[in-house]
Amino acid sequence: MTGQAPTPVQMERQRQRARRYTRPGFLIQLALLACLVAGPMLMPSFRVMDLVAKIMIFAVAVASFDIILGYTGIISFAHGMFFGLGAYSVALICHYSQPVQYHHLLLAGLLAALISAVVAVVISALSLRVKAIFFAMVTLAVAEFCHILGYQWSSLTKGEDGVSFKLPGVFNADWSGGSLWGTQINGRLLVYYLILVVAVLLFVGLVRFVRSPVGRVLKAIRDNEQRATALGYRVFRYRVLSTVFGSLVSSLCGALFAMWLSYVNPDTVLGTPLMLNILLMVIIGGLGTVYGGILGAAFIKIAETWLPDLQKLALSLWPKVEFMQRLAERWILLFGILYILSVLFFPKGVVGTLRDRAEVRRLRRLGRP
Amino acid sequence: MDVLNLAHGAFFAWGAYAGFAVLNALNGLGWVETGTLGQGILSVLLALLAALAIGGVLGLFLERVIIQRVYGDHLKQILITMGASMVLAEVIKVLWSPNNQTVLVPLSFTGSYDVMDVVINKFRVVAIVVGLAVYAGVMAVMQKTKLGIIIRAGVENREVVQTLGYNINRIFTGVFMAGAALAAVGGSMWGIFREQITPAMGDENLIFALIVVIIGGMGSVTGSFLGACMVGLAFNYVAYLVPKLALGANILIMVIILLIKPWGLMGREQ
Amino acid sequence: MPEAILSLAGVHTHLGQHHILQGVSLEAARGRATVLLGRNGAGKSTTLRTVMGLTPASAGSVVFDGRAIEKARPYAVARAGVGFVPEDQAVLRGLTVEENFRLAMLQESPEAWAKLDTIFELFADLKKFWRAKAGVLSGGQKQMLAIARAFVGDHKLLLIDEPSKGLAPIVVDHLIASLNQLKQHTTIILVEQNFHLASQVGSDYFILDDGRVVHSGLMKALVDDEGLKQSSA
Repeated sequence: MTGQAPTPVQMERQRQRARRYTRPGFLIQLALLACLVAGPMLMPSFRVMDLVAKIMIFAVAVASFDIILGYTGIISFAHGMFFGLGAYSVALICHYSQPVQYHHLLLAGLLAALISAVVAVVISALSLRVKAIFFAMVTLAVAEFCHILGYQWSSLTKGEDGVSFKLPGVFNADWSGGSLWGTQINGRLLVYYLILVVAVLLFVGLVRFVRSPVGRVLKAIRDNEQRATALGYRVFRYRVLSTVFGSLVSSLCGALFAMWLSYVNPDTVLGTPLMLNILLMVIIGGLGTVYGGILGAAFIKIAETWLPDLQKLALSLWPKVEFMQRLAERWILLFGILYILSVLFFPKGVVGTLRDRAEVRRLRRLGRP
Repeated sequence: MDVLNLAHGAFFAWGAYAGFAVLNALNGLGWVETGTLGQGILSVLLALLAALAIGGVLGLFLERVIIQRVYGDHLKQILITMGASMVLAEVIKVLWSPNNQTVLVPLSFTGSYDVMDVVINKFRVVAIVVGLAVYAGVMAVMQKTKLGIIIRAGVENREVVQTLGYNINRIFTGVFMAGAALAAVGGSMWGIFREQITPAMGDENLIFALIVVIIGGMGSVTGSFLGACMVGLAFNYVAYLVPKLALGANILIMVIILLIKPWGLMGREQ
Repeated sequence: MPEAILSLAGVHTHLGQHHILQGVSLEAARGRATVLLGRNGAGKSTTLRTVMGLTPASAGSVVFDGRAIEKARPYAVARAGVGFVPEDQAVLRGLTVEENFRLAMLQESPEAWAKLDTIFELFADLKKFWRAKAGVLSGGQKQMLAIARAFVGDHKLLLIDEPSKGLAPIVVDHLIASLNQLKQHTTIILVEQNFHLASQVGSDYFILDDGRVVHSGLMKALVDDEGLKQSSA
């Protein structure tokens, strides 16, 4: 290619690459990362740390769901189930291995990845051949089955009571390593940082996946399946690939979640509310944006944290009206209405809408040089 | 209708609660638990009627407010009806309670017949008769009447049907209402049969409905009928042998059917 | 000049961001066949769809048989007496030929069934495939069915969008004969790219370009004018 003048596309790409480290987006990412790292030192409140850890986990889980829904255009109702599979892998291995060792965590992670990959391949191979809708229905049925299995297979999962377990060595909640600059170094804090590292790695992996050639093919399939087929891409394989990849990441998120809580039960990691939460987050953040996951997860998790206060407010405002109290108890109802409204009127979510605006501005600049 | 409605389970649950509420109210008059045979039959009929009405009203509301905006977009249909189903289930919890409720059933409907040593639950007979009647009715309307022709044509091409002079939007609203009303009647019958209802019953039954439709093939009433028979039989046999794996057995059937016929038993490739 | 059955005045239509019709004004005379000509994207099909109410006009007036219909919904326009034959042989493939016809009859009256005899004379194939699914018909037969279906609905005006599209020349000749027969019974507005068909069937013409009528007159005059024919066909 030497001696050839670069094409306009190549020139534009080079220009963008040169600006890579000065873009506002990059600076925001850097600032966010710094906050996450320094957070526990600056604000030694367990409530905040708990919130941030959950937001990180769900941001990645939602982003991986976005790979399936937003980038591939198929609906998987089993994303919560994969999350649960990961969570139960960690919980069961840690619970049943005495004494628990570091390599058990690694083993659990591998097991989570393996199981979810196999299950995802089987489900998608069966149902993606036909129509994306079949996939939605099959995943819904299988996810419900796993939820019931979590309850019924009580010899393994302890049913409704759930599994509580201890993490090995320095990750154990009881472990303490003195203090550094006034911050208590303990098992909790180290799990937080473990979650931070893994979540950031997974997130970067997701972003790279979307920007890779495979990601571009997926977008092409979503926008026009026939054309992608005509260009010679095996649509089915790409769909299976993205489903498996997204599900696998979800199961790893579940593993992190289990480590953070040291406890799992069928309702929190396998139930429908979890799946609905993920759906809500992805819709609010914006489909097909990956970064929307962070916003969506942050919004919902923060709202969930403050809703009990809202309930107390409702109680004090209408102390006698039983109906209002019941209404305040059912905050999922509010989320549901919010969800329907955003699907109808705000289908691109926060990040999607912002990106559209930026794109319009950019085009306008190009139009008037 | 080419609409994927995941809120169907919610109609089912609403029907059950409507029937429950009516039976409760009538029991205040002494019709249900202590009433005569006539009062018992009448109260069950009223319960079913209430379910029919509530299903129709909910269907009308949902179709007009939400579904009409997402015709032709399956992805949004799935997303939005999932949300609607969640909201409807939550409203049940607000109006009644999140806990199980016991349905009062007229004495004349409990108990069973004893035919040559085979014990048949009385209400089961009613359920089978109503089910067959609905199936025959739906088949007759779809295949033989003008309305059936319009509906089938509208599923294929709304625009052409409109230009032939039919207000397809109104017709589809009606069809959706009918579907919702039938689901609600099914729900109230289920409630009377089981004598217990929960807000989550919609979701549980939706799974069965989905498996039935996947096995039978979408858009085929006969296929659904076949699928329902298979699912029902398998569920009962396995539930008898290994109760915990009953749903698993159905999923296994679904998987096998999808392997052999990816479009379902009676489904046609589109 | 015979009385106009349909007249459009200053009709504008938008499709999303696009301004398709930019002030179309035309009149179709009762009992005649009017042809809309023009290159791709000129707004011919959109004109028909706007009359039908499928793509409602954002400004201007559409008067059919003395009634303003620019705000009417498609089914109301159809009930007022306008029949529409969309392009691409839009028959209902899952329905039999018989069901397609039953759908087209708003009232299944004896007169409507009697009309079928006229149709069987024009389109003999349709009788042969009476109980077959419309999806198995050939392209030409589907087009015949689509036209016949609009005809049986007892309309005062038929809007036909590109009937010759995708049909073999020999089928087009048969189509021309049928349309000329049809002309005896009803008023027709035809959108057509095939100048041969247009010139054989049409009595008046309008040429559209960029969403406006740029030329109009008698078909006979256009056929004689070789230069214009080159630029429009």
